[in-house]
Amino acid sequence: MPSLLSRRQWLSQTACGFGALALAGLAGREASAARRFNPLAPKPGHHSAKAKRVIFLFMQGGVSHVDSYDYKPRLIADDGKQLKFDDARIIANTGIRGTQQRVMKPLWKFAQRGQSGLWASELFPEVNKIIDELCFIHSMKTEGVAHGPATLFLHCGSTNFVRPSMGSWVLYGLGSENENLPGFISIAPSNGNGGARNYGNAFLPAIYQGTPVGRAGAPASEATIRNLAPYLPPQLTQEHFDLLREIHAEQLRAKPGDAELEAVAASYELAWRMQQNAPDVLDISKETKATHALYGIGEKATDNFGKQCLMARRLCEAGVRYIQVTYGDNSANPAWDQHSNMPKHADHAKAVDKPIAGLITDLKRRGLLEDTIVWWGGEFGRTPYAQQNGTGRDHNPGGFTVWLAGGGFKPGFSYGATDEFGAAAVENVVHMHDLHATILHQLGLDHEKLTFRYAGRDFRLTDVHGRVVKDIVG
Amino acid sequence: MRLVIRQHPILSLSVFALAVLGVPQPSRGMALPADAPATSRATPPEAEPQPLTPQQVEFFEKKIRPVLAEHCYACHSAEAEKNKKLKGSLLVDSRAGLLQGGDSGPALVPGKPGESLLLQSLHYDGDLQMPPKGKLPEAIIKDFEKWIAMGAPDPRFTPPGAKKQVGLSIEEGRKFWAYQRPQPPAVPNVASPAARIANDIDRFILAKLEAAGLSPAPPADRATLIRRLYYDLIGLPPTPEAVDEFVHNRDADAYEKLVNQLLASPHFGERWGRHWLDIARYAESVTLRGFIFKEAWRYRDYVIAAFNEDMPFDRFIREQIAGDLLPAATREDQKRQLIATTFLQLGNTNLEEQDKKMLRMDVVDEQLDVITKGFLAQTVTCARCHDHKFDPIPTRDYYALAGILRNVKAMEHANVSKWVEVPLPADPAMEAALKKHEEVVAALQAKIAAAKKAAGGGKPSTGVLAIADVPGIVVDDIQAKKVGAWMHSVHSGTYIGSGYLHDLNAGKGEKTLTFQPEALPPGRYEVRLAYSHGTSRADNVGIIVASADGETEVTVNMKKAPPIDGRYVSLGDYRFEKNGLAYVLISNAGTQGHVTADAVVFRPLEKNEAAGANPQTPATTVAALEAELTTLQATGPRREMVMSVVEEKVIEDARIHVRGNVHNLGEVVPRGVLTVALQGPPPRMPKDQSGRVQLADWIASPSNPLTARVMANRVWYWLMGEGLVRTVDNFGTTGEPPTHPELLDHLALRFQSDWSVKQLVRYIVLSQTYRQSSVGEPATLAADPENKLFGRAHRRRLEAECLRDTLLAVSGQLDLTRGGPTFPASLAADYNYKSTSNRRSIYLPQFRNALPEMLEVFDAADPSMVTGKRNSSTVAPQALFMMNHPFVIEQAKFAAARLLAEKHPDDDARLTRAYRLTLGREPTAGERAVAQRFLHKKTEKAATEAWTALFHALFASAEFRYVN
Repeated sequence: MPSLLSRRQWLSQTACGFGALALAGLAGREASAARRFNPLAPKPGHHSAKAKRVIFLFMQGGVSHVDSYDYKPRLIADDGKQLKFDDARIIANTGIRGTQQRVMKPLWKFAQRGQSGLWASELFPEVNKIIDELCFIHSMKTEGVAHGPATLFLHCGSTNFVRPSMGSWVLYGLGSENENLPGFISIAPSNGNGGARNYGNAFLPAIYQGTPVGRAGAPASEATIRNLAPYLPPQLTQEHFDLLREIHAEQLRAKPGDAELEAVAASYELAWRMQQNAPDVLDISKETKATHALYGIGEKATDNFGKQCLMARRLCEAGVRYIQVTYGDNSANPAWDQHSNMPKHADHAKAVDKPIAGLITDLKRRGLLEDTIVWWGGEFGRTPYAQQNGTGRDHNPGGFTVWLAGGGFKPGFSYGATDEFGAAAVENVVHMHDLHATILHQLGLDHEKLTFRYAGRDFRLTDVHGRVVKDIVG
Repeated sequence: MRLVIRQHPILSLSVFALAVLGVPQPSRGMALPADAPATSRATPPEAEPQPLTPQQVEFFEKKIRPVLAEHCYACHSAEAEKNKKLKGSLLVDSRAGLLQGGDSGPALVPGKPGESLLLQSLHYDGDLQMPPKGKLPEAIIKDFEKWIAMGAPDPRFTPPGAKKQVGLSIEEGRKFWAYQRPQPPAVPNVASPAARIANDIDRFILAKLEAAGLSPAPPADRATLIRRLYYDLIGLPPTPEAVDEFVHNRDADAYEKLVNQLLASPHFGERWGRHWLDIARYAESVTLRGFIFKEAWRYRDYVIAAFNEDMPFDRFIREQIAGDLLPAATREDQKRQLIATTFLQLGNTNLEEQDKKMLRMDVVDEQLDVITKGFLAQTVTCARCHDHKFDPIPTRDYYALAGILRNVKAMEHANVSKWVEVPLPADPAMEAALKKHEEVVAALQAKIAAAKKAAGGGKPSTGVLAIADVPGIVVDDIQAKKVGAWMHSVHSGTYIGSGYLHDLNAGKGEKTLTFQPEALPPGRYEVRLAYSHGTSRADNVGIIVASADGETEVTVNMKKAPPIDGRYVSLGDYRFEKNGLAYVLISNAGTQGHVTADAVVFRPLEKNEAAGANPQTPATTVAALEAELTTLQATGPRREMVMSVVEEKVIEDARIHVRGNVHNLGEVVPRGVLTVALQGPPPRMPKDQSGRVQLADWIASPSNPLTARVMANRVWYWLMGEGLVRTVDNFGTTGEPPTHPELLDHLALRFQSDWSVKQLVRYIVLSQTYRQSSVGEPATLAADPENKLFGRAHRRRLEAECLRDTLLAVSGQLDLTRGGPTFPASLAADYNYKSTSNRRSIYLPQFRNALPEMLEVFDAADPSMVTGKRNSSTVAPQALFMMNHPFVIEQAKFAAARLLAEKHPDDDARLTRAYRLTLGREPTAGERAVAQRFLHKKTEKAATEAWTALFHALFASAEFRYVN
């Protein structure tokens, strides 16, 4: 009997089941044929790729670039002076440019580091030791003065409209390398500032949505995938599942070849395999003591983020395409958001420094850094002057620093510049759209071709913007 | 800032690519956009260039051309245009291009560097900053200045090419089917037997099938039909008893009676209201900060009632767009109409956008999107930045429509803006009680003010006060972070803790103090500043309070004695979050006289967790009165509020926002409607009103070619599983054309004769087409696999709400309470909210950061988008939910207990019952065998456990999710 649905219809209606792939065993269908139906199967990109996956270390709230990586001697020379700056918030509120602001020097000492001689402050001493692996962009620019809009822009390329997140685009473009795990995982995402929209699929098919593991503010030791842990004791869980399988077999016997029913049955097979495999992948206790120490696990300050970074490495090793680790919280003024108390940056730096250095070291020694892009940064930077003449710094979307490692980005390299104060990107400016385009490029995706038709239009992560920054890739 | 504001994505696909991808091309004589005639865009007057001197040519070739080529051509040249990389519609590779300019106007004025946009942008002077990669060296900019001053001599003369409009012109657009009024179609004669024909719908459907040589599916069996009808009309499964009754009822009008009975059920509105709520992007909070729409439920109940009462759809349109402006005969009408306008306020607004001009237009854009997509199935908002790329919607039309909504106040703007709420009219008795209550409150407030004044002026507590004696959390001046030189003093003798600070009346604008508590438990606080007053003090000290809701500026006059206890001034009440901002910043900027600060006190306003060692005690008169006020406000009658809009004070037409940029305004466009869909003269816009009434009238008019078709198509889709136009939210040229244009017009004309949704539903479900089996004839299946001819019923995945409601119905736990608020009024944010309610799913709080998990997993509409058609995905998280979520397993337990409590002769009868309850059919022999084997393994003692497993498996099973 022929299938009740055409293949195209099935694909569009189930939008889209990974279905038949997992079902191969159950219904005796040939796996390679089934693979063609699986929208999560690995896909070739538009061109040859330098990297296979991404780990994004999201520093929520906005790290101060002038206190960390963007060395500006003028800030020390003019410390305390009242000078005129174009403040993004004041411009947005009033349109007025050139307002009086008090220059504030960096709170941490700068020096040239590593073989590459890149400038970095002492804020991240452990990361400084592996600085020769990093590729800095000092001329970042983004949209949105407030956290919410800027965070959404960082993740989805739009400050306000509901758009798919970057991880969803990447999964849509490349598929996943592991049949037993979600292809896009967000570790400890924040509820605030866009929440689930930051790993949402918006109008892309639901199968490309990010899967949260844990949440901001909850300990990493409790982090898991929603509904992964059985509610019933193991024996009953097994019993219920076996019964469901038998009932499905009978339902399919009555409607042989019914693609929709098969897809549902297949989704249970995948869920079951996830239930068996994912806890192991997320279980960092399998790692050696030395590895734990490398990530700072067991030390009070670094334990939590260390565990999350190690989890990210395990997921990356298991073939998960896009992994985000958020260092943040659920408040409207998350983590790095030091409006009134710059020294607090030290606490946050302490919490992430060793885990990040550990992650890079670990990826490198396992040969994973080569084809993994590690991206570090926040939704914006901070002002080189004191906010309202106080003791903190306000948001700065007009100029800030991010770094990338691995994945074909030039190691020990620095690109672009802000002005002499670090207020605005002026040289080789890299807009957030450009960064998105460049990361996609390294993954083998052309940001202008990675489109999805919705409501009569083709949408892209980069909207109508973006250019690949070829100067920073090898 | 970038030249091109990032507000809006546009198409990046050429017409050629569309054809390649097999996207249906518009039919009915519509020209492709590439063939569209040129627009009337003005060409600059200069036709012939002046002859150039060799020096001029050399200057251009040496200094200007290389720079343009290197830094500008990539985005602003004919080549860029060819490669689809042209930005801002600006060409700089010809003199004509520069003179004509782009979206922002001419790029240069020869001889006038000061008026040339090109130079401004090179100077990075304003919003336009070019090139975007970084400012060019000063010397190059000077060259350009010189060149423009010379008259911009440029040998690159090409005849100025007229610009092509990308989209469809209005004239061509009028030929497109959707913009022509529906015409009464001739009902076709068909050869099929009379039993296949219940009404004209069947004739239209059969005519096409017959023409293709195909036959429809046989009628569905009665058990399948009643299950389908129950889900389609009320969203709940029929009980096995109802099924039996219908199956055995052989009366000729049994089906019609069943239809009428379900249409009259109050559950009809709960099912159909949900359809509309998808389109209205109904939600009860916003994503950013999770603020709660406390009053949104009124709109939900309004929609349910409108469907239950079969409110004429044209009235439904008018009330939602302009209910506040329409005449109302009764107070109830007035109330209902105000509630209807919540429709305009439900957008997922970015309240903290700092550019409030942009926010205002974002709100307008969102309202326009829901109105035009919802009622007209048009993607009008594509035209915010440029003429629509495909449809005949010029930017002028966008701003004509936007002009109407721009006259409507939806937000009170602040650092974090707030949506408008207005009081609902109360009945006379209530109004009197409210007035009385308000008077009492006002009197008490006056008393408190007087008491505070008395306490401040009459009995100031002087002398040194220990921190331990101050209720609340105290940040003393020595804990404040100082910027600049501050002098410590005990001179006045009245202070808290260790004296106070002053700025020496020097270094104005250079000094600040930041008072930040080390740890502040989350909650609401009154923030007080203690200062030292006197005639030598400043009278305008600027203070910023940073809280969870942003920053608030307060000015304090320090010449005056502190009004509270002679020590404090209240800076207001604020909300603070865990790890959130919490500080008070005092600046001496712009002051004359000494600025002083003694301490900042955070006084908890409610019982915060671990609110500190100094809980507030109502010891003083003021405190006692304040406590009285709190009680009074909590217990007294409250005015009912509703999310609505008010008209702006200034009624005006909008100006075109060049490329959607709120800071780049073009010409004024008179308010109006979509030109291409306008039949007859345009509505006259009033000078003293926004024009919403006129907009609503135009949409709700029978002369509008779109409205009735769009809604008739939606109703068809909700019942049949696919629309006659499959892109239900897009009737533009990129949408799909109707499979049955005559039937669509037939339904639309019928619908707009009475605007009755129930009559339309009734008409469709009474057709034989609706009553077909989902198993089609093999030949029809083979010829029409996508069922575009409706030669069988579409099998459909049950919507998330139906799935959940069915679980509860089967378990016996469904709570059928109707309407009203469904979460605690005190809820401040939606984060991590979990509802444990067993009410129908439409009544679960629709929080954007905490959608009910089962609904979210099973593709409920994203409440931030207009959703005419939901996804129907099959993904692993659904399986995990059904396997492991306690809710599902608990319902299985309840269902098992319920089954075992019923009287059944044996397990076989129980199994029949379980299958009928969950899947609406009896088990097959194979299924009986599976169940028997399973039950056999379990002891009698474990009966509940065994039946729980069975119900769990049935709930989780594939078939449970589908309706045939």
